[in-house]
Amino acid sequence: MTDGPVLKIENLYTYFYTRSRQAFIRSVDGVHLEIEKGQTLGIVGESGSGKSVTALSVMGLVTAEPGVISGKVGLKTANVQKNLLQDLSEYVKTATITGRIMDVYKDNRRWQKNVDRVMRGIRGREISMIFQNPKLSMNPFTSVGRQIQESILLNTAVRSAAEARDRALYWLEKVRIDSPRLRYDNNPYGLSGGMCQRAMIAMALSSEPSLLIADEPTTGLDATIQSKIVELLQEIKTTVGVTTMLISHDIDVIRALSDQVAVMYGGTILEHGPADAILSGAMAQSHPYTAALMASIPNREQIRTKAYLQAIKGEVLDTINLPEGCRFYPRCEQVTDRIQEHCRLREPGLLSISNGHRIRCWRYQQ
Amino acid sequence: MKLSAVRPITVLVTRELGIAALLLLGVSFVVFVILYLSPGNPFATLVTRIETAADPGAAAAAPATWYGQYFTWLKNLFKGNLGNSIRTGLPVLQEVVRVGINTLYLTIGSLLVTLLIAVPIAVFSARRGMTPTSWSMTVFTYVVSALPVFWLGYIVIYISIHRFGLFPLAFGSSAGPWNWFYFLLPVLVLGISNGTISEVVRYLREEMKRVFAEEYIVTARAKGASVWKHSFKEGFLIPITEIIAAKIPFILGGAVVVEQVFNWPGMGRMAWQAAQDRDYPLIMGITLVAAIIVRMGSLMQRVVHIIVNPRASKE
Repeated sequence: MTDGPVLKIENLYTYFYTRSRQAFIRSVDGVHLEIEKGQTLGIVGESGSGKSVTALSVMGLVTAEPGVISGKVGLKTANVQKNLLQDLSEYVKTATITGRIMDVYKDNRRWQKNVDRVMRGIRGREISMIFQNPKLSMNPFTSVGRQIQESILLNTAVRSAAEARDRALYWLEKVRIDSPRLRYDNNPYGLSGGMCQRAMIAMALSSEPSLLIADEPTTGLDATIQSKIVELLQEIKTTVGVTTMLISHDIDVIRALSDQVAVMYGGTILEHGPADAILSGAMAQSHPYTAALMASIPNREQIRTKAYLQAIKGEVLDTINLPEGCRFYPRCEQVTDRIQEHCRLREPGLLSISNGHRIRCWRYQQ
Repeated sequence: MKLSAVRPITVLVTRELGIAALLLLGVSFVVFVILYLSPGNPFATLVTRIETAADPGAAAAAPATWYGQYFTWLKNLFKGNLGNSIRTGLPVLQEVVRVGINTLYLTIGSLLVTLLIAVPIAVFSARRGMTPTSWSMTVFTYVVSALPVFWLGYIVIYISIHRFGLFPLAFGSSAGPWNWFYFLLPVLVLGISNGTISEVVRYLREEMKRVFAEEYIVTARAKGASVWKHSFKEGFLIPITEIIAAKIPFILGGAVVVEQVFNWPGMGRMAWQAAQDRDYPLIMGITLVAAIIVRMGSLMQRVVHIIVNPRASKE
């Protein structure tokens, strides 16, 4: 068995042009992430913090320009060990001013060709993905069973269609779809949202991937269905034990499923560490943003007394005009006089405060 | 084809045929009224011949009112009798079927030419985006579509027949080595300049681009499947049948001109001739057949729609 993380993202930058093409939306701005084998990494953050784009960048599915412009995505599984962004620098040139990328030249067509070549045998086979909106994410013109069958034929050693059909039925059963034989021939619109997401999960697992990326798997569903899907994912975690990158803005979902948690804000990771340490909400040992995020979840007491929800003040960071210093500085309530100068003018690094727990905040730095 | 699609298709075809019958009834009625109201009549030019040839008994039996005449025509239609052409005296049904096949050949052939030019350009520019290559190809299709059919027809005739003497002037009049190619000329001319190339390009390109951006295509890519395979039905099959069904009337209209220019013994030329002669039974017959062809196009589109997407039958 190989050692080290299954997925190691280093210094990932994914930018998009603004409408005018004069500036960049810095969707992913220097992300570092690691996922150990068999673990679930939860990535949490507000809308627009770059969670999904990070996932799409890993899969090479970013189509808007300029897209991925620098970084390294190391994948290390039983069969494959390579950098998914290999030869990236051949197609991309960047101009940097005071440590910030200000101009990009990218040969997108040749880059995309290269990505498709690198990702052949990885997409589906090594990394599978579950998407947010199950009904839109499955082909409406083909039955769900056939879509799972296709995935099995493409990505596993199974070569006969009949055998692939049996495997597909097995997976449909595994995700607890009732009467899988009937559902096999249903098109996605014939299934409910929750059923569709189950089928989607079955499809993602059917290729027996080394890494599963679940991009907001519960967001598009009703609250009751959500908890069912979380239960299913929990069950799959114990029975299948696939390494998972779970993206969600729902902290309860993250809490239920994650071993490790990364908190994203404005395109970077603010905090990365063991789930219990980060989600405990202990102010002394967490990033001010995480603390504010945790405080914004109403507890039972607050729900009963119908107290006002505690929102984080200010707006979500606009990544076009980044502040010079810490990204969270404009909204941060824990700036002290001691560190105020630093917070305003210089971006803090990701500093390890205890084993495996890293925080990007001046409070923890000297 | 899935078995589950058979039932909706039968239902659809039956229903469509019923609608088509009503539509044809309406079309024939409207055309009859227009003909009745339009100035002139065939007997104004043929009066002497009619007087000598006409059977006095038959003339007396003919209804005098316009609706009476229409119902007589309708009654004969149900017996499979469309009457005789006033000009030639031949049965209309046989005549129309004879020339209809020539027109069908011209229409389908030129449709294929249009698609052969338009589809690769559409697919290329949908895949690559608006690069200089696809941009110039798109402009080219606009220019080509703006060419009038008759103009291109005369130019082609001038170059290929008068300049280089490749073909005989009249249709099928002599058997030269290049004679078979002469059949292709009108097809090419109508295919290129019927004005639909640019529309096919634009519609197909936009539909493909839209489908490429669908979430299920991202899923297909994420599982390592072919984007083409997954986008074929919604991105290609449906738009292409839609545009074919929508453009058949235009191509039939273009065929009138092309047949005239190339001396092509088709329905369009016959319609033109019949209109000049006020040959009422013939005009009625041709209109009916043209309406049937157009209706067949839209029936085909609906059937394809149901086969790829049984949900459509539940609407």
